[in-house]
Amino acid sequence: MAEMTARVSGFFGRMPRWVYVVIALALAIAFPLLEQFGLMQTLWLRLGTRVLVYVLLAVGLNLVLGETGLLHLGYVAFFAVGAYTTAILSSPRFGIQWNFWVIVALAMGLSMLFGFLIAVPTLRLRGDYLAIVTLAFGEITRMTLNNWETLTNGPGGIPGIYPPNIFGWTVDSPLEFFYVLLVAVVIVIYLLGNVKDSRIGRAWNALREDEIAAHHSGVRPMRAKMLAVVMSSGIAGLAGAIFAYYQQFINPTYFLFMQSTIVVCMVVLGGMGSIPGAVLGAVVLDATPEVIRQAFTTWLPGAFGRDFLPGVQSALQTDFDRYRMAIFGLVIVLMVIFRPEGLLPNKLWKREVHEEDPRELEKTHQHLFDFEEGKQDLEV
Amino acid sequence: MPDVILEVRSATKSFGGLKAVNNLSFDIYEGEILSLLGPNGSGKTTTFNIITGLYEPDSGDILMQGESIAGLDPGQIYARGISRTFQMLRLFSNMSVLENVLVGMHGRTKANVLDCMFRTPKMRREEVQSVERAREILAMFPGRFPLARHMQPAASLSYANRRRLEIARALAGEPKLLLLDEPVAGMNPAESLEVMQQIKDLRDRGYTILMIEHDMKVIMGASDRVIAMDHGVKIAEGAPLDVANDPAVVEAYLGRRGADAAS
Ligand SMILES: Nc1ncnc2c1ncn2[C@@H]1O[C@H](COP(=O)(O)OP(=O)(O)O)[C@@H](O)[C@H]1O
Ligand SMILES: [Mg+2]
Repeated sequence: MAEMTARVSGFFGRMPRWVYVVIALALAIAFPLLEQFGLMQTLWLRLGTRVLVYVLLAVGLNLVLGETGLLHLGYVAFFAVGAYTTAILSSPRFGIQWNFWVIVALAMGLSMLFGFLIAVPTLRLRGDYLAIVTLAFGEITRMTLNNWETLTNGPGGIPGIYPPNIFGWTVDSPLEFFYVLLVAVVIVIYLLGNVKDSRIGRAWNALREDEIAAHHSGVRPMRAKMLAVVMSSGIAGLAGAIFAYYQQFINPTYFLFMQSTIVVCMVVLGGMGSIPGAVLGAVVLDATPEVIRQAFTTWLPGAFGRDFLPGVQSALQTDFDRYRMAIFGLVIVLMVIFRPEGLLPNKLWKREVHEEDPRELEKTHQHLFDFEEGKQDLEV
Repeated sequence: MPDVILEVRSATKSFGGLKAVNNLSFDIYEGEILSLLGPNGSGKTTTFNIITGLYEPDSGDILMQGESIAGLDPGQIYARGISRTFQMLRLFSNMSVLENVLVGMHGRTKANVLDCMFRTPKMRREEVQSVERAREILAMFPGRFPLARHMQPAASLSYANRRRLEIARALAGEPKLLLLDEPVAGMNPAESLEVMQQIKDLRDRGYTILMIEHDMKVIMGASDRVIAMDHGVKIAEGAPLDVANDPAVVEAYLGRRGADAAS
């Protein structure tokens, strides 16, 4: 009971939270088995694995963007640091293969250090300025990777990354990577959920809501923001490390500004400041374009004949990356129109977004000058 | 005479050419309600801002229990036992009522990020104590924050209750000195009366209170002492009735012609 009262923040509707967690986890565990039993093409398993990488990134960025309210547009840089740390220390590039745990620790540690160094000068900036500086920083990181040929091999990238060896288990199939990522996701979400539900998580939220009032409550704004940035950088570093192992090849084009934008969209789509939202945002945004491609190139022609919209078919087959962005854009536009608070919003935050609806605003304003409730209260 | 808790010594704060607070000195005694009175723009809120560290005074000093606090930041001043509310409400609107009060305790609680990540017994104990204390504080406003409201977003409260919640959040810092900036602004007479009574109750519980109010009637009933300000300068100080009848105060409020007409 005391434990329950202490968990002041999280409440997800009427069903207890664990019910949703168990359902989501069961689905995730069962998913790769579909492929094992031949019920699903490997394509979908690969997609699922990639989705989990995005889930890590979205959950990590949510800490900064959703919980603390800092518009960080260079998040992919920390993902890159993690990925390159792994590629350099476990590939024929320098002919070395360091231990998996050492690499993961280094990838996270370096990303966190990097996050810290960036945070020191930039966190004093507010709003738009922070966005511009972090954006520039992300691009500088990518250009450094592109040009520091002695270390990174420049645009050529680093091929042949050795698979990780975890306690004697060599992880080298999409199925295995899926489960490794799932474990990482579960651990990260568990730990972050705990922090979110504590004085530190509340301090982040308070900074997002009103920095001056938070400061007057003893929150140290720089320290608290720094902590959010450093933690989220560490998570991106972890995601980058596993991604590099899984991909076996990385080059700077994996770390374009567009990647940062996509992760921002995932957080916004899911619902800022909501961990389940970040997860769902990543799943929906990464899976939708693929589903649409399959629908137009395979399922619909299968059902309605081979020449079903042949133009769309060939366009999606040859130029998919371009259309992928268009589909992202469409999903975001639809969401901003129909569900601005996100798919699985933080319950409390839902209000603010809807208040910006002019019809709602009217109501709120009335409420502001309406002492009805106060009068009723007086009679109590 | 009780001990002095806070001393403002010749504090000055200018914005450009405007001396918002000009060579202001006064003491606050333990256990009293001291009110700052004055027309709009007379420098009352700026006085709060230099006491609570939002601004540093250009010159002069501020002593909390004998130690200088001028130039400390708001977090450090919170730690010295001074909490405040704001003239324009500054609640964490999208956080729950209970969470707002819990944030008010932030600077007094200790759990670090690892404690929070792994929910160590130490952290859980502190969290349970914090929630209990927060509920106690909310209960100081009888009938205003029933349990059912604790989980509602602060933004969903009535205006008067939002002002009360800000006081509750300030109390969560366990301050020795509580600064209230126009606590009844925008309230109807019945509500003002109730909140004033609650402020007196707080004094009786042992808090020292510095309050800003520009409604004379409200101030008369609640204050032990009053300081009147105009154009950043202290123009009168003393018992409420004496200050209210002070010619300088009447003039500041009504203007010279008004003062003449009144006499
Ligand atoms: N941050 C600021 N920048 C510029 N001028 C300010 C600032 N804060 C207050 N002032 C000015 O200082 C004067 C005193 O303001 P304030 O202390 O808010 O008055 P009061 O609270 O008594 O109504 C006003 O003229 C106001 O415009
Ligand atoms: Mg004021």
